[in-house]
Amino acid sequence: MFFTYLRRELRRRRKAALVVASGLALGIALVIVVNSVSSGMGQAQDKVLQSLYGLGTDMTVTKAADPQEEGQAQRPRFRFDAQDSGSDEEQSSDRVMVQGFETLASSTVAKVGSQDGVSNAVGGLSLQVVKVSGQFTRGQFQQGGGGGGGQPSGPGGEGRVEGGGADFDVNSYSVFGTDVTEPELGPLTSSKITSGRTFTSAETNAKVVVADASYAKEKKLAVGDTVTIKDVKYEVIGIATPESGDAAANLYIPLKQAQTLSDSADKVTTIYVKATDSQQIDAVKSEIQKNISGTTVTTSADLADTVSGSLSTASDLATSVGKWLSIVVLAAAFLVAGLLTSSAVSRRVREFGTLKALGWRSGRVTRQVVGEAVVNGLVGGALGIALGLVGAYVVTAISPTLQAELGGGGGTTGPGGGGFGGGPGRQAAARTLDVALTAPVSVTTIALAVALAVTGGLVAGAFGGWRASRLRPADALRRVE
Amino acid sequence: MYELRGVTKHYSRGKDTVHALDGVDLTIADGDRLVIQGPTGGGKSTLLQMLGGLDRPTSGEVVLDGTDLARLPEARLTRVRSENIGFVFQSFNLIPTLTAQENVETALVPLGIKSKERRERAAEALQSVGLGERLGHLPGEMSGGQQQRVAIARALVKQPKVLLADEPTGNLDESMRDEIMDVLERMWKELGLTFVMVTHDSAIAKKAPRVATIRKGRITVKENANS
Repeated sequence: MFFTYLRRELRRRRKAALVVASGLALGIALVIVVNSVSSGMGQAQDKVLQSLYGLGTDMTVTKAADPQEEGQAQRPRFRFDAQDSGSDEEQSSDRVMVQGFETLASSTVAKVGSQDGVSNAVGGLSLQVVKVSGQFTRGQFQQGGGGGGGQPSGPGGEGRVEGGGADFDVNSYSVFGTDVTEPELGPLTSSKITSGRTFTSAETNAKVVVADASYAKEKKLAVGDTVTIKDVKYEVIGIATPESGDAAANLYIPLKQAQTLSDSADKVTTIYVKATDSQQIDAVKSEIQKNISGTTVTTSADLADTVSGSLSTASDLATSVGKWLSIVVLAAAFLVAGLLTSSAVSRRVREFGTLKALGWRSGRVTRQVVGEAVVNGLVGGALGIALGLVGAYVVTAISPTLQAELGGGGGTTGPGGGGFGGGPGRQAAARTLDVALTAPVSVTTIALAVALAVTGGLVAGAFGGWRASRLRPADALRRVE
Repeated sequence: MYELRGVTKHYSRGKDTVHALDGVDLTIADGDRLVIQGPTGGGKSTLLQMLGGLDRPTSGEVVLDGTDLARLPEARLTRVRSENIGFVFQSFNLIPTLTAQENVETALVPLGIKSKERRERAAEALQSVGLGERLGHLPGEMSGGQQQRVAIARALVKQPKVLLADEPTGNLDESMRDEIMDVLERMWKELGLTFVMVTHDSAIAKKAPRVATIRKGRITVKENANS
């Protein structure tokens, strides 16, 4: 009888049921979209961080910078002598600089690795190479014919310098020295080898290079080609394509080679650390900071705080405006559903009064009202889930591009640096990444939607059920007759 | 057997107090047939509600087979209604979305009877009021007289001791009225019910063995020699 009565009543009051269900559907759809977009934002942020860190890195250790006066920071200098005008010889000079100009001793890697809660620690050296190449020819002094205009003439008569000048091209790119014996940690892990191969653990000091796909395309590099860095030739053994965002560096070479190129023997710029337990990251951070002085430990959470740009703005919007909008719409939907159910009970006073006169207990009448409201809620939930999935699908299909600016003004080191925490003396190179936003809908989100639908039904049912339970049969029959 | 002793019912209507029943004493024997008459607002329906345990008196006792309905807890009063008392209303009060058979079944739901038996008993009850062919019809698909017969079947399907009818022919034309009264009288005789009916219809009142008249909450009962 319960289900027969329920089904017939819902069919009879289709429009009212649809209004209640639609209100709930709207709220639930909004919750799904906001939730999935927030989740997408989280994934986008993770991708941004992974593009710096690589997969599996929980934190980085860098050297805290010593405060330096403005202008004291090292800058590369290039000196070229002018050549004779007839010379076609190209002049070039590379400067290999350690990114951020602060290094840690390689022994620190082992020290960090021995700390409690540290699963693995790997060192890396970030370099910036600036290559200036071109021609600088000397001007030619031309003896004048008869002077002119009363100009003073020098010894030997009048003349002027003609020709000469400089035509230089500056090529700047980043190189990351990676520990080839620990391939599971570090920036290269966030890239996939799409051509050739990666380093073998035996290539600790080999003259081989893995090129980032974008850089390789720009420079027309392919596996088997040669790249020259500071007069040293490296064979391209692989092309790496980042899984998301931009690559950490343009070129990857074995750590020892990077140290040699930059005259930084036994030095690293960043130590990539994996914790044994991802829940204990803050404790491990404190442990490292306490035991290894002069270091800056940056967790992914710290780094996430430095993300700005449209990704950050959208993330803030999703978590603040989106959350409150969902709450307001849901609350309104619950209220409207409750009031409509209550109003439906008012219109059915004689019906419920009659049932009570026939001996139906208040509880049975209330269950009937709540049952109808819960089914309404579930219909609203199903509609809301469908609507929410469509919304999430549309967001994913459009994939709006969001920009993430990392470490702007915060002293974050450049590509491949991975760490931050520098001072005035450090090279503060903010990094901008484009990330496509997706809106993944998780099982948890669907479960939340179902829970909200049932809650909405129960709230609406509570309104109506409360009225129905208070109904005295005599009053009910008297009021309508 | 009903015993009403000093039953009063007062309603507050704004600043005024309405004395719907004012010290009503009444005895109704088992198998009795009583018609209640009186002017509109005189307290007829209120008295019927007291008899049916739909409302409680402000003071006094409404005793049915030794149990004072006025003092019964709500749950027990509900059980008394579900087991012993059948109601027939002026405007039928059928559930519009349920078929004739399902409407009759609603009276058996509180008794915890299984659905198969409910269906069978509902079908029998409808056959007994001449609606065996209309089991699957919705109230909206039936005439007023047919709807009232469904309501009678609903009141009697649980085999109550008491049948209370509040102007059961009030919304029907003359031919329908006679048809319904024939059904009610037949049931009263066949089932040995205690039958209390409120009506404005003097023709019906003339046929009743006892007629109670309520005016301003006070009751007078006359034996009807013509019945």
